Amino acid sequence: MTPEILDFTANSAALPLMLLIAGLLILLLPLFVRRLNGAQGFIAAGALIAMAFFFRRPPAAEVALFNGALVLNPLSAYLWAFATAALGLVVLLSLARQAAPDESQGEYYFLLFMAAIGLMVLVAAGDLFTAFIALELLSLPVYALAGIRRSKPGLEAAYKYFMLGAFGSGMTVLGIAVLNALYPALSFAALKAGPASPLALAGFLLVISGFAFKTALVPFHMWVPDAYEGAPTPVAAFMGAAVKAGGVIVLWRLFHLFDGGPVIRIFWWLAAITVTFANLAALAQSGLKRLLAYSSVAHAGYLAVAFFGGRQGAEAVLYYLPVYAMATIGAFAVAAALETDEKGPRIEDLAGLAKARPWLAGAMAAFMFSLAGVPPLAGFFAKFYAFAGAVNSGYTGLVVLAVIMSAVSMYYYLKVTVVMYMKPAASEQVYEAPGLAEAVIALMAAGVLLAGVFSKPLLAIASNAARYF
Amino acid sequence: MTQFHLLAISFALFASAAAGFLTCNSLVRMLMFLELMLNAANVAIVALGQGAVGHAYAVMLFAVAAAEAGVGLALILSLASVFRTLEPGNIKELKG
Repeated sequence: MTPEILDFTANSAALPLMLLIAGLLILLLPLFVRRLNGAQGFIAAGALIAMAFFFRRPPAAEVALFNGALVLNPLSAYLWAFATAALGLVVLLSLARQAAPDESQGEYYFLLFMAAIGLMVLVAAGDLFTAFIALELLSLPVYALAGIRRSKPGLEAAYKYFMLGAFGSGMTVLGIAVLNALYPALSFAALKAGPASPLALAGFLLVISGFAFKTALVPFHMWVPDAYEGAPTPVAAFMGAAVKAGGVIVLWRLFHLFDGGPVIRIFWWLAAITVTFANLAALAQSGLKRLLAYSSVAHAGYLAVAFFGGRQGAEAVLYYLPVYAMATIGAFAVAAALETDEKGPRIEDLAGLAKARPWLAGAMAAFMFSLAGVPPLAGFFAKFYAFAGAVNSGYTGLVVLAVIMSAVSMYYYLKVTVVMYMKPAASEQVYEAPGLAEAVIALMAAGVLLAGVFSKPLLAIASNAARYF
Repeated sequence: MTQFHLLAISFALFASAAAGFLTCNSLVRMLMFLELMLNAANVAIVALGQGAVGHAYAVMLFAVAAAEAGVGLALILSLASVFRTLEPGNIKELKG
């Protein structure tokens, strides 16, 4: 019998992960060879090619690697494509960014790739312990990335993110310890079939609260506004688009272990509190990055509402993640193009943008309307499918609350648009966005429009992937 | 000592570490309490784990705790040189 690692039919499914790991090693080279310090763009292109490869040839059936620790199927292929796309876009945004003089580029991209690998292992994890290790692999580089500038805002963001993230990890480990006593195999399939005892319930609640820290569900969201505001803007985009997606996928797997009972009720309350609190808190924000941070908490709440939709909800989550990621990466790219200091632009700094840069303002308006859920943009359909699933499963009360809060969110998303189009510019500012950042913004604007107007193809892929869930 | 006693020890250690983390006023101490939390959970894994798998988990958790300590200490060193303080109350550059 060939050893598993040499079995190429099984491992071709893992090819994108291997390509990324190879990229990781190449990224270490600039640390030793100074001349290579500009090679990161090529590696970003490599990541995107890996993604394209995977969209072309997803595995036809399920492949379990490493004793079931990694499960590769169309679902994992979909999420890997999502992860590599997010990585590629964030790398492009980072290339457009002015790096601090004392900052090593090799380190930056190395950490970014490591986090992407963590995300890919996390979404393909077949058991809870692998998911936890992958979560750490995802989080630790992002803590360091948040503080990579060694400036006051960056370091404050990094330490808040680190302390609360590590506290959440501690809770997860204790939960895993308890569950490990009850279920010797921690695979998700074994957890579903296990006994329902108070001790198991305590273990599950510890694990769920640990992952809720990463997903930023209220009341585990305290770090989010500061971390997003102080972190470099491309890193904040990565936190919103990718790190959150990892947490959502694991919470979703945990949610589906239960058919009812206290855990589902707790998820109900988490979703309800998250959509309410995050949208109300966002109303008071004046900084664009802080606004986007609260918006990301609110969207975690909508995703939690989608959990309740059963099979339809699974499709909705898979459609929602890329749609939300496109609008968020686009909005952070606009913030990066306009920022003059590390905390990013304030909302009133966008005044007069429609006159000075009509094209940029139009794209920003598209992102805001997509996040708010205005048809025909993709955000509308994402919310529609998420809420429709939950209504069909009989959670009408939760959906009514989410729809009301979504209407409240209209106010702060519209505020950004109104400032751009109605207010005159305070000063004659010349916006000089680098070409790469503009390319990302254009791509994301086209994405939120096309994924909305022609939602069928993406939805079909999502629905095919959801079958393997 | 039975499994029950070991579990009680680990829970008590975890609870006091978590309480210490939430109440202390120094970043270094917070990091120490974080490590204590992880180690308390590790005691539970070793005590309750069945067979080699549980022990393998414990060894991997050592690595995770070490990585966490590494990142945390690096952050604390940078914070100390930039802010000249290690009290969370004095590090207030961002709103909130």
